[in-house]
Amino acid sequence: MATIELLLIICLTVVSSVPAARGTSEVDALNAFRQSLTDPDKVLENWDPNLVSPCTWFHVTCNEDDRVTRVDLGNSNLSGHLVPELGKLEHLQYLELYKNNIQGTIPTELGNLKSLISLDLYNNNISGKIPPSLGNLKSLVFLRLNDNRLNGPIPRVLTGISSLKVVDVSNNNLCGTIPTSGSFEHIPSNNFENNPRLEGPELQGLATYDTNCS
Amino acid sequence: MTTTILQLSHLILSFTILVASLNHPGLVDATPDDDSYWLLRIKSEFIDPLGALDTWLQETSMCTWNGITCGDDKKHIISLNLSNSGLNGAISQHFSKLTFLETLDLSLNSLSGPIPPDIGNLGNLKELRLFSNSINGTVPPQIALLRQLEVLRIGDNLLTGEALQNIGALSELRVLGLAYCNFNGSIPKEIGNLKKLMFLDLQQNSFDGEIPEEISGCSELRSFAASNNRFERRIPTTIGLLSSLQILNLANNSLSGAIPPELSHLSNLKYLNLQGNKLGGEIPVELNGLDQLEILDLSRNNLSGNISLLNSNLKNLEVLALSENLFTTIPPNLCLKNSNLHHLFLADNNISGGFPEHILNCSSLHQLDLSGNSISGALPPSLDSLQSLTDLLLNNNSFTGEIPPQIGNMTNLNSLFLFGNMITGGIPLEIGKLQQLTTLYLYDNQMSGPIPRQLTNCSSLADLDFFGNRFSGSIPPTIGKLKNLVNLLLRQNELSGNIPSSLGYCRKLQRLVLADNMLSGSIPPTFGFLSELFLITLYNNSLSGPIPESLHHLKNLSIVNFSHNRLSGSIAPFSGSNSLTKLDLTNNSFSESIPTTLSTNLIRLRLAHNSLTGGIPLHFSQLKQLQLLDLSFNNLTGELDTDLSSLTSLEHFLLSNNRLSGPIPTWLGRITELGELDLSSNSFTANIPPEIGNCSKLLKLSLRSNMLSGPIPPEIGNLYLLNVLNLQRNNLSGGIPPTIQQCRKLYELRLSENSLSGPIPLEIGTLGELQVVLDLSFNQLSDKIPSSLGNLMKLERLNLSSNKLEGEIPPSLGKLSSLHRLNLSNNHLRGQLLSNFAGFPSNSFLNNDGLCGPPLISCSELSLKARKRLPESQIVGIIVAIVFTSTLICLSLMYTMARIWWNWRKVAISCSEKGGFEQKKEGEDWVYGEEIAKSSDHHFWNSNSMALVPSQSKQVSDSDTARIFQFKWSSAAAKK
Repeated sequence: MATIELLLIICLTVVSSVPAARGTSEVDALNAFRQSLTDPDKVLENWDPNLVSPCTWFHVTCNEDDRVTRVDLGNSNLSGHLVPELGKLEHLQYLELYKNNIQGTIPTELGNLKSLISLDLYNNNISGKIPPSLGNLKSLVFLRLNDNRLNGPIPRVLTGISSLKVVDVSNNNLCGTIPTSGSFEHIPSNNFENNPRLEGPELQGLATYDTNCS
Repeated sequence: MTTTILQLSHLILSFTILVASLNHPGLVDATPDDDSYWLLRIKSEFIDPLGALDTWLQETSMCTWNGITCGDDKKHIISLNLSNSGLNGAISQHFSKLTFLETLDLSLNSLSGPIPPDIGNLGNLKELRLFSNSINGTVPPQIALLRQLEVLRIGDNLLTGEALQNIGALSELRVLGLAYCNFNGSIPKEIGNLKKLMFLDLQQNSFDGEIPEEISGCSELRSFAASNNRFERRIPTTIGLLSSLQILNLANNSLSGAIPPELSHLSNLKYLNLQGNKLGGEIPVELNGLDQLEILDLSRNNLSGNISLLNSNLKNLEVLALSENLFTTIPPNLCLKNSNLHHLFLADNNISGGFPEHILNCSSLHQLDLSGNSISGALPPSLDSLQSLTDLLLNNNSFTGEIPPQIGNMTNLNSLFLFGNMITGGIPLEIGKLQQLTTLYLYDNQMSGPIPRQLTNCSSLADLDFFGNRFSGSIPPTIGKLKNLVNLLLRQNELSGNIPSSLGYCRKLQRLVLADNMLSGSIPPTFGFLSELFLITLYNNSLSGPIPESLHHLKNLSIVNFSHNRLSGSIAPFSGSNSLTKLDLTNNSFSESIPTTLSTNLIRLRLAHNSLTGGIPLHFSQLKQLQLLDLSFNNLTGELDTDLSSLTSLEHFLLSNNRLSGPIPTWLGRITELGELDLSSNSFTANIPPEIGNCSKLLKLSLRSNMLSGPIPPEIGNLYLLNVLNLQRNNLSGGIPPTIQQCRKLYELRLSENSLSGPIPLEIGTLGELQVVLDLSFNQLSDKIPSSLGNLMKLERLNLSSNKLEGEIPPSLGKLSSLHRLNLSNNHLRGQLLSNFAGFPSNSFLNNDGLCGPPLISCSELSLKARKRLPESQIVGIIVAIVFTSTLICLSLMYTMARIWWNWRKVAISCSEKGGFEQKKEGEDWVYGEEIAKSSDHHFWNSNSMALVPSQSKQVSDSDTARIFQFKWSSAAAKK
């Protein structure tokens, strides 16, 4: 009985595990992000993962040591989600991903971006909570998360980022109360508006602020 | 002549008869009662390039024809076998006339078109084999009429649709082969009617739904293969009733639930493959009853818990594949001393703890894969008890300690993967005993010490990767003994000394990666022997001297990166290989001119930061694959007179910091893929060509520090993707074109240090993505600051200083919540500063006509000064005094002004924004945000934010006091 059709697939993975070409971890990190994205306008077309550094990739800017400082993909018709690997870009200062159709949650690992100055994720479709790990972003000045579908409370640790100057979380589904201490002291109230479950500025010294909000 | 015509007409006549005899059966002896009649029609419909049907001739007996078996009456055929005959064309519908057929085999041809529905007329058919063709369409329902059918094999075609709908009618089926098509639908319950079915193959289709319990009706089933479909839900427990089953392959579906313990009843099972499903739970301990089992593959599921399989029961097991599950431990009694287990794959599980030493009992193992777990501790010295091992994969774990010297006893070892661990220490000298070793991957560990000379005794070595360790010392001079070496990757270690010239004798080398070390000396000329060499990277070393001439011989060289060394001389040897696609020689000391010929296959050419001279060779217009050309920071001279518009793929064109001159060529406008154009710091003259507006994909454009004149062409507005525009430090004149509003993605705009005049177009206020800086300083811009600038909500730096701007500062500017640098000094602005501006340092506003309020002096003080009156009696005397002294004062003021101006100018040149912050050295402006990166002080933003005076102002205190004086003087002047 001929059994051409009855070929059995034995998966001997051992021989196939040839190591892939290794770039720097920054190439890997950005490439992982690219893999998660749909890019109809082909703005990521020249992101060649075989290069040693991503510094000649369009929309990526490096410092003189060839470390990534900016990722400028605002308004680029991208969909997909953020990836934890982005947290490896330890010299990243500007993460500009606004006005796209990015979904999913903000990875906790973005809290590792210790050089980050600006996190612009506004006008996307991001859901889930604002990770408290963002409180580790000790260089952060601009945090624009408005016009997404974020829920949960505004993590109090953010008030401890002394460099923080602009916070905009309007048009989300956040709950709890609006922090008023620390760096949130001078954030205008309209940067919190259109969060139906977010209650007016918290009153210092009163009961816990996050009732019915988790 | 007449004979020729006669002959010709005779020929035509006979040809006509021949054709007629083929097309008109009336002329043929055979009648439709006779199968030969239909076979000849069938023949005429086949395309038969190999002549498989050449014996099918009318004048011979059908029963002698190729592939045919006649029935007893000699008028009908009972079997037709044209398998593997090279036939093309469609399956003739005339097959349906061969009603005596019992066997039809057209497999392994190139037949196309559908299966003719009339095939249902072949009521005697027992075997139908159409597999491995290009038959398309659906399976005709008439197939169900073939009640005698025992073998139906139609797989490996382009068939679609629901093939199994009526299958229950074919109760005589023994073999059903439908693999490698595009069938869909589910398996009907009626499958259980096929009591005689022995082989069922549904692999590689789009079948879905549940595998029905009724499958147990197929009690004769020996092989059930349904891998690579979309079957879902549970594996029916009734499969356990298929007691004849030897092969069960349900791999790569979406089956879920637990593995049914009932499978243990399959006492004849030799092969069980459930990999690539969503099976969970533990492996049922009952599976130990499968004592015939040879291959068990449960990899890529969600199985967890203990591995309960025991080799004491599974005596025949040769392959056990459990990779990519959630197993945490390996059972201590997995192997017996006399086991047959050859292949054990446990990669990518959650196994932790130390090396599972009981695995060392599995002495029959040939391949062991424990990669991708969390196993820690040292490798056991007794590892060498696995004497038969050919492949040992322990990569991507947490192993520490050193490689035991006993590794040298594992003389059958072929591949040793230890990468991605935390192994320390050196390479044991005993490794030299591994004569079979072809692959040694030690990369991503913390190993140190020298690379031992003994390693070069491993004469089979083909792949060596030590990337990312701390190996030191020199590369062994005996490396040339490794004649089979194909890949040598030693990147990112601490290797020093010279590159041994014997490396040139590893003539099979294809990839040589020595980058990121401390190698010195020169590149050995023996490299010229490496004729297979495809990739060589030596970047970030301290290599010096010239590129050996012999490299000219390396015709296969494709990727070269020698950047960041001290290499010198000519780069001409690289013109030898026309395979070259990527050449990076950045940051060396290469001199002389760029070779006149370079590989026309070049995709990336980077020669920046050298001392290359001359111009861009004419030949460059032939480098049509080029995507990146970086010649910046050299000593290139001359004009850009070589037309490079043929480089239609060019994305990066970087020529900054050379001595290029002449006009910016108009052909640049034809390189439409251009994303980055940097011509800064050259001596380009004349106008910016309007054609630049055709480069509609440009993201970054820098023409700064040239001698460009004339207006900014309004076509700049066509660059609608532009992120960065830098025209700083030229002699540009005219107005800022309002078309700039079309560059909606600009985040950095620098037009400073030109002679631009007219008002700031209010359209700039629509550039809502402006973020890094808007710098219009040191121009002749006049009129009021447009209040639309208040819309630039992301702008962080605004510099409008040293223009002729007048009127009040629009209140909208106070709403720029992101702004942290502001410089409006040296204009003609007046009026009271809004409270929002109080946080900026005073030098943001200095030297205007009449600004007041914090941080400047209060407006009341200013008006008080303005209202002071002197007694009328003294007026005449004072007028005289004023006439006399004002001349004196004016003269001295003018002198002071001139001095201040020069001081100010000096400061301005050393201050990027003139607001008092650091300027980078020229050429670094193309790197963004670096000043923040440079500031290791995390409080940079704090200490320099609006509320505080920048630290920089201390350094320029001289001119600060001068400016305060200036301010007072100008407010005094306002008295008049």
